[in-house]
Amino acid sequence: MQRLTRYRPRLQTIGLTSLMDVFTILVFFLLVNSGQSELLESPRQMVLPESVVEVKPRETVVIHVNAEEVIVQGEPVARVADILALNGGDVEPIMARLAELQDRVIGARTQSVAQSLEVTILADKEVPFIVVKQVMSTCTAQGYERISLAVVQKESLAGSVATTQI
Amino acid sequence: MRKHHYKRNTEGEPELAVTTFLNLMVVLVPFLLITAVFSRLTIVELNLPSAAGGPTPQEIGFRPEVVVREAGIEVTNGGTVIAALPKVDGEYDLESLSNLMLALKQDYSEVEDMSVLLEPQIPYDWLIRVMDAVRTAEIPDPAAASGFTRVALFTAISVGEAP
Repeated sequence: MQRLTRYRPRLQTIGLTSLMDVFTILVFFLLVNSGQSELLESPRQMVLPESVVEVKPRETVVIHVNAEEVIVQGEPVARVADILALNGGDVEPIMARLAELQDRVIGARTQSVAQSLEVTILADKEVPFIVVKQVMSTCTAQGYERISLAVVQKESLAGSVATTQI
Repeated sequence: MRKHHYKRNTEGEPELAVTTFLNLMVVLVPFLLITAVFSRLTIVELNLPSAAGGPTPQEIGFRPEVVVREAGIEVTNGGTVIAALPKVDGEYDLESLSNLMLALKQDYSEVEDMSVLLEPQIPYDWLIRVMDAVRTAEIPDPAAASGFTRVALFTAISVGEAP
């Protein structure tokens, strides 16, 4: 017995199997998770409201409304303070940008975006309602009649079940 | 003696060369963790009156409205106020609104339309929360796995400014 313990190798190999298991599972989980490519990227500087809706985003024109400005398809066009000061009526810069999107079709993706005549609005939850309303009415005036509001999905009591009719 | 020791060591289980694989994993896991999106975005579809087309003909006279004011929520049937729900502790009373909507839906089960009207300065967050309360309700259901089931109430929601 004494001899056996004396000749045990000093550096035992670390049990890597469990670590490998964990990593393999993690990698697969994350791969599957990132596989569902997001059409809408969740914006960094704004907090979206939460809702229980389960409708997936589609490829549309995207309008971001944060605390300071309105961004249409990645291009800042108007300031929130100006829209508040406008006191009704359509927001000219947004109209101009939407019209420009219709005219300037470059690839298949921009084409599908322009032809959808659909707008998805990502607005910060603290933005006053009137600003969102002005942006929406501007969109409808420009022919974009289907408007969706982007929200972060939250867990509901019922879980993800089909909605039943009464 | 020393030679013997070496020999004993190699006799054991053959070791798998996992180091390279492990390196790959160690790089992949942080990379995927950074790019992973954990908050899923969904969309609320609105039923907006189109600017060009005329108003849709309404056979049913009942057109309910939920008006969110600074002081509280009012529920009207187009003309007269059915119920007023004042704020509770500075927050709108969404629970009562949900119960009221459920009762309204049971009375007028054929009505799908609902208008949500907000005063200009109300944060946008309340629009979404009120719409949630108007669109669906969660009622206890012993048959369901989670103990709750979701029912559709007024799904065609229009949004506007409070008069």
